[in-house]
Amino acid sequence: MRWATRQGVHIDRAACAWLIRREVDHDAEFAFVADPADVPADATPFDMPGVDLSHHGPDCTFETLLHRYDLTDPVLWRMAAMVHEADIDDSRYDAPEAPGFDLALRALSMVESDDRILELTGPLFDGVYEFFRRQLMLGREPA
Amino acid sequence: MALTTGPGEWVMLTYRMPRDPSTPRSSVWRRLRRLGVAQLGDGLVALPADARTREQLEWIAEAVREADGTAGVWLARPATLAQERELATAMAAARAAEYQALRAEAEAAVSLGDVERARAVRRLRAELGRIRRRDFFPPAERDAAVAAVELLGTSTTGEPHRADPDVVAT
Repeated sequence: MRWATRQGVHIDRAACAWLIRREVDHDAEFAFVADPADVPADATPFDMPGVDLSHHGPDCTFETLLHRYDLTDPVLWRMAAMVHEADIDDSRYDAPEAPGFDLALRALSMVESDDRILELTGPLFDGVYEFFRRQLMLGREPA
Repeated sequence: MALTTGPGEWVMLTYRMPRDPSTPRSSVWRRLRRLGVAQLGDGLVALPADARTREQLEWIAEAVREADGTAGVWLARPATLAQERELATAMAAARAAEYQALRAEAEAAVSLGDVERARAVRRLRAELGRIRRRDFFPPAERDAAVAAVELLGTSTTGEPHRADPDVVAT
């Protein structure tokens, strides 16, 4: 399936692409567009104003995806807190790592293409998932 | 923003929302305040345009529409440099007041015991970060506020606050 989002990806779009590939569509292909009108006809748009898979109320798109696809995994919700605070920064969640991820994604977007950012951040989000999974199981910082 | 080369690009949000319910209205208002917008009129706010400010206003426009309001996001230039300076000056003055209040808090916290002071440093650094994030035309008061918070972070009273059992002498 094809998916489309705005070009110049930041943490919400990078994390959503990771989540879509992991939980919704293992063979997902992503297109990056400058204007919502440029979304290919066969693509599902996300994280763009005016589409369903986007910000709603206080939620960022990562949270919207968790709701839409009935993903209740607490590890994914812990990641949602990180993505939300790095993206929106409204203190809705306690996610002390968020400012670092915000800077890291903004920094990457200065030197890498959108496709490359998804390649680079995929393993990072895999690791973050594993970190929060162990943290939730142990009830403390893992290793 | 280089004011010498002519007025820069601004992103503007026009919005109207029903008076009731009031919750979405106050949520939108809080989000606009956090972004540090210039209020140009009733239902008209502006920020210097960049990828982040434009995206933030687009999300707020969506929130307005979801609450049965109407909203639009526009890119515009002030017609004259003087008009842009007036806007920048008003925004800088709003941030200056925030920096001054923060500096006063930091200076007042110097006399606290070590534990409370460390807590105050963390809180004031976070607040400083939030103000800097919406500071598009840094006023002179910024440096004094940064210095006051850093001084608070490095100073010690020389008298460890012993009332707290968690404090361990090192």
